[in-house]
Amino acid sequence: MNQWELTLTLAAMGLCLVGALVCLALSERAAARVLAVTGCSAAALSLVAAAGVLAGGASGDRILWSLPVLGPLAVGTTPLGALFACVASLVYVPTSLYTTRYMEHYEREYSVRAFSCWYCVLLAAGIGLFICRDVMSFFILWETVAIASAALVAYEWRHLRNARAAFVMLAMSEAGTVAAMLALLLARSGSESLRFGLPAPALTTPLAWSIFLLSFFGFGVKAGLLPVNSWLPRAYPIAPGNVSALLSGAIVNLGVYGIVLVNMELVPVRFASEGVVVLIVGASSALIGILYATIEDDLKAMLAYSSIENLGIALTALGVAFVFVAEHQPLFAAIGFAAGIYHMANHSAYKALLFLGAATIDVKLGSRSMNRLGGAIRVLPVTAALFLVGALSIAAIPPFNGFASEWLTFQALLRSVELAPLGLREVFALCGAALALTAALAVTCFVKAFGMTFLGTMRTVQPTVSEASATMKLGMALLALECVLLGILPTYVLAAIDHGGAAIFGLGTVNQALVPPFFEPNARPNPLPSDFVATFHALGAQIGAGLPGRGLVVMLRGGAANPVVFAMSTTYFTLILAVLLGLVYGIVRFVTRGRRVLRVPPWTGGLQPLLAEMTYTATGFSNPVRVIFDAIFNPTEVENERETIHEHFRSAIRRKREDVFLADRAVSAPLASAVRSAASLLARMHHGRLAAYVAYTLGTLLVALAIVTLT
Amino acid sequence: MTTLTDVLQGLRSNWLAVAWSLEQDSIAASIPAECLSDVVTYLHAHEWRLGTVVATDRGTSLEVRYAFYAGRYPGWAQLVVAADPVARVLPSITPVLIAADWFEREIEDLFSIRFTQHPRLGDFVLHDNQWAENNGLMRPNVRSSADMEEQRRAWRPRRVLKEEGAFVMPIGPIYSADAESALFLLETVGEDVVRAIPRLFYKYRAIEKLAEGRSVRDVLLLAERCSGTSAIGNGLAYCHAVERALLIDVPPRAAALRAFFAELERIRHHVTSVREICASTSLAVAASQALWLEEQLLRICGAVAEHRYFFGVLDIGGLMHDYDPAALEVAADGAGALSGRIRILRDALQNSSSFLDRIEQIGIVDEHAARTFELVGPFARASGVSADMRSIQPYGAYASVAFAVPTEAEGDGYARLRILFAEIAQSLQIVRTLLRELPAGPVRTEPTMRAGFGLGWTEAPRGASIQWVQVGEEGTILRYRLTPPSFRNWHGFHVATEGFAFQDFPIVLATLDLSVAENDR
Amino acid sequence: MNWFVRGLLAGIRTEAEPGGKDTPPSISPGLPRTTLHASPEAAIDIAAVCPTGAIVAHDALASVVQDLCVHCMRCKPSDPGAAGGQEWRHDVRFAHGPEGGEAEPLDRRFTRSLHVRIVDAGDCGSCLNELAQLNGPSYNLHRFGIFITPTPRQADVLLVVGPVTRQMRGPLKAAYDAMPDPKRVVAVGACAAGGGIFGPSLMCAGGAADAVPVDLVVPGCPPPPFAIVHALRAVCGARPLDPSGNLG
Repeated sequence: MNQWELTLTLAAMGLCLVGALVCLALSERAAARVLAVTGCSAAALSLVAAAGVLAGGASGDRILWSLPVLGPLAVGTTPLGALFACVASLVYVPTSLYTTRYMEHYEREYSVRAFSCWYCVLLAAGIGLFICRDVMSFFILWETVAIASAALVAYEWRHLRNARAAFVMLAMSEAGTVAAMLALLLARSGSESLRFGLPAPALTTPLAWSIFLLSFFGFGVKAGLLPVNSWLPRAYPIAPGNVSALLSGAIVNLGVYGIVLVNMELVPVRFASEGVVVLIVGASSALIGILYATIEDDLKAMLAYSSIENLGIALTALGVAFVFVAEHQPLFAAIGFAAGIYHMANHSAYKALLFLGAATIDVKLGSRSMNRLGGAIRVLPVTAALFLVGALSIAAIPPFNGFASEWLTFQALLRSVELAPLGLREVFALCGAALALTAALAVTCFVKAFGMTFLGTMRTVQPTVSEASATMKLGMALLALECVLLGILPTYVLAAIDHGGAAIFGLGTVNQALVPPFFEPNARPNPLPSDFVATFHALGAQIGAGLPGRGLVVMLRGGAANPVVFAMSTTYFTLILAVLLGLVYGIVRFVTRGRRVLRVPPWTGGLQPLLAEMTYTATGFSNPVRVIFDAIFNPTEVENERETIHEHFRSAIRRKREDVFLADRAVSAPLASAVRSAASLLARMHHGRLAAYVAYTLGTLLVALAIVTLT
Repeated sequence: MTTLTDVLQGLRSNWLAVAWSLEQDSIAASIPAECLSDVVTYLHAHEWRLGTVVATDRGTSLEVRYAFYAGRYPGWAQLVVAADPVARVLPSITPVLIAADWFEREIEDLFSIRFTQHPRLGDFVLHDNQWAENNGLMRPNVRSSADMEEQRRAWRPRRVLKEEGAFVMPIGPIYSADAESALFLLETVGEDVVRAIPRLFYKYRAIEKLAEGRSVRDVLLLAERCSGTSAIGNGLAYCHAVERALLIDVPPRAAALRAFFAELERIRHHVTSVREICASTSLAVAASQALWLEEQLLRICGAVAEHRYFFGVLDIGGLMHDYDPAALEVAADGAGALSGRIRILRDALQNSSSFLDRIEQIGIVDEHAARTFELVGPFARASGVSADMRSIQPYGAYASVAFAVPTEAEGDGYARLRILFAEIAQSLQIVRTLLRELPAGPVRTEPTMRAGFGLGWTEAPRGASIQWVQVGEEGTILRYRLTPPSFRNWHGFHVATEGFAFQDFPIVLATLDLSVAENDR
Repeated sequence: MNWFVRGLLAGIRTEAEPGGKDTPPSISPGLPRTTLHASPEAAIDIAAVCPTGAIVAHDALASVVQDLCVHCMRCKPSDPGAAGGQEWRHDVRFAHGPEGGEAEPLDRRFTRSLHVRIVDAGDCGSCLNELAQLNGPSYNLHRFGIFITPTPRQADVLLVVGPVTRQMRGPLKAAYDAMPDPKRVVAVGACAAGGGIFGPSLMCAGGAADAVPVDLVVPGCPPPPFAIVHALRAVCGARPLDPSGNLG
């Protein structure tokens, strides 16, 4: 069994740790350089290793280290881990590259060395987590990730808001960790060791449900799922831009990894209702996330809410997979799994890109509020173009990557016709409707994000601002390239996911469901009817057959109940689009040749001049959404005052509304007040009388003895 | 119930130092600037309304004349306040009488008189982004356009809404398909408009300045064309003012015929307003039918007066010429024949719930606001203020014609529509009555020129038109002051537009029935 | 009853363009025309009656500058047969090109599709009201393929009413600049034609030509709707200008 991939991953981790130490020893500016080099090379090593695993299969587990109390720490590469490592590395490389010059504006006020150190530690843990093969090592690295990311979020610690956000993040993360750890321990409760690679023990129904709920909501904290995501909209906006990109592009995925690891690999789901929980939580996270994103005017906060939305979509697809697993339909389960992982990977690419774009805007223009930005395309044309790629991707506009995975997600939901229970079908239909609304709102949201930030009149933008530095642009460009490639080559991506899911579904299930062997005409045995093959050949669907993938069309066939074929190919779409656009451009050029083009200022109804304050603001643009969904936002009116001079001259109308995030309102705030009142009850015990304290001690001792005696 | 004499007694006893005089039904006095606010407060408390404010600058002297009229009985009061022609400062009465707000802003812009304690001066008639401060267009030393100092300056709308993401949505000055030029500044955070402020006077033609030095007959052309859609309404008020100044008695036949044309004009104007309301709600069939009715009325007017808008009907001292009784009958019959169709249109509109949904509960002006801002015409009557110059300060033939003033209480778009229909029906009746009792005799008294000044008023289709003239020895106009109804009603525009949905804007605007030309002069 | 049914039941109310020389005053007020008076004194008297100087006496001949006529009706005899007044033309073909001559119409592509942007540059309201009638059933401008558009970006014709006030001059020029080529400017009404009774003066220009190049002038105060229809049909080349009554 080949183990070079494992060695390589361990080497990447080691490199990061060395980098962390080196950073501490160097000057501020050099630290950022070291960070970039370390980050890029470590992530590249990890990427190579992960690719190797996906191509060559898993290694066996190896005991790295045996600790006296915690037991042996096992490591080993798995295809599933490699798939996630691949996605993470694709974010780490460009983000590290971007960081080279990005940290310069912090140098005066905060320590870049400390930042670089924590960054390297985060990277090391983030890479290493995917090769952990037992509960203990998993949680050591999991905690490292949690602490390192909290430290990075709190980087600008002089602002009270940042420190508090990091605290909330850490607190919720710890609570999630406890739940997840409990779930993992329960999952291994019948086994002789805490290693992952052992067969699943037989579990009672309550135990199975406990494992599912604890792991889903425990890991869900990291994945930003409703209702345990209060920390996310607080932490993302205030973290440094590159950290937001890392958190949103790579760290949230750890939550998904945990959920998949426990519920698909270690203890496969047994009940369709478990899948329904995932579906409902996923779909409502998606809808609520995008609603808050749409009305948000802070660029980074908007992206944060949008992360909730995207992870919600991915989880909805995984929910489909869970349901089909429980219903023993592995083929459709594979579609759901592929859609979920695909969407998660896409989200990593475009969200990291958008966060880096937002960070560039923040640094260059000094504001993240879309109400104050505007017209930025004139000073940041490259950033604008790259941000546009991200916006188009996230809005699921073909041929960019968001489209492929959202298409698959909807297709997976439509497979509900293969389910017998009516209730399940209804849940699928409702979730499908919620996702459809989500998709529409996402378009609104990112039209607003791009339009309000880059287009229109310059509200406060200084025309003297210069474009971002080369490494920053390169970092974003790499991510934009990923967005395009993930979008136009879905069959290759699905092949990778197929390998990653091999341990769960068996090698080839995803491909069989989505990229049928039909596109390899020589495949034997070919399960498709020959006339079917002939029809599709006539349509030219085999064109990609000679390529190293399995053709360029994603196709899924309905089951016996629904003998329909759904197919799409963003690859062909891109080619045709390019040809058509070129043709249109050529025709227009030909028809209008020799014609004078008149450039005149926009028609403003004769108003001269049109001031920037007379153009739509971001708040105004999304206000219809706010009005329509008022019942969900349920804003509190903090201020509504009318001031007048001499009774009739209105001098000011002051209005202010505050939107409290639904998760805060529904879960965190009641929980906090419950804890506070419980604490105040307990506080009554602390009245300072020595006799009472002695009595408490004795009482506790008696109870403990009683328990010991009885068991 | 107080009367004119009671008020005069009160004025005399409160301000002993002032020489109060009463001539016919008009109180006049020169009062010192410092007791102006108190006198205004006193008159306001007795339900007297501000008619007009006239500033006159003769270079060496500067005076401002405040004309008030009683709200429930015939009676006028003219208070003259002298100002120092160098310092050019007067106390503002706006804090005690909000209705004086725009008058003072206009005078500040045109005469460079500063009103202390007025909170909103500047950018009014002369736009700040085009003109230098203190151009004082109406001052005698400004004679030609070369005397006006143009200066490109920064101008920003006054913003009141303080909310995250608030912005000003500009509409105009050139907007819609065939709307008059005016700029509207809508303060909003999207969807709901919190407040809308008009920026008018893009069409300012300086009619009052143009009138100076012209003959009284030529200025009549300006009065008629101040607002072409109410030529009789404004032209007649000018004739009344000149006739008072020249001490002319108008023959009874002329007075009756003037009222006849004024009522025909009112009918036509109100049908136009109904048409605009229908068009604003995109009710195309109703708008087309109202357009057709309007065209028929224009043709009736054209057939009887040879001009579709009654230009060239009026003359100082009476009418340009007499009219054939048969032609008048034909006109009255024609209008009467259309009244059936107008009723059908009214009933159809009142039975269209989709139409009513769009005009009910929009642009609401309650009675208190209508009284405080002293709104006039159908606008005020829809808010429960029974202000109609024909009945409270009767003139010409109206003293002998009995009619009730229709009012509505709601003050919303629908109430204003109902008022329009009620007044159309009522005007048709007045037309009939006038023709039935049409006196014989001449239609014009030849005026003899003399120096003097006079105040004239009418109830124009949009409300009270109040004008003041000062005539020189040779019959030239020395000062012409034109206070058309739209100038008063635009002042209440922001009251009707505090808080509405953006898509209702054209409907609110149409139901308010405001003319930009009439305001801009 | 449904509005749609109501509309159908009303039937067709659209009228043909009056071609003759005896259009009644209900449709058009007409315009004064050059008149040979009994004596030079009579001509001088009638010229003195005109407040805008539209009537110019040359011996016994009193010629009329129709652009300046503001329909004060003072030169019109109250009784058509009476002597002493100016003769009047009773048609609707008021429109004429610059300097009283022909205007160059737009090319054939516009004959059935003409878009007009109206700009109110200080109008009293009567010209605008007559323009509003054009969309009514009686005149039905759409039948000629002529449309009133809210944006100058799509307009072929700029229709100016009002004397062009100082504060509307900038917006008017902006609207003209915003129009694509080829474009024409039609000045409608006495004010836009020559300033009317308002201009040139302190706050008014002497008509649209002072701000934008005018291609066609429609005199009248206000010109009747059919005169405007005639002008718009002429500007898009759908019919010859034929200013029949200009001097006659």
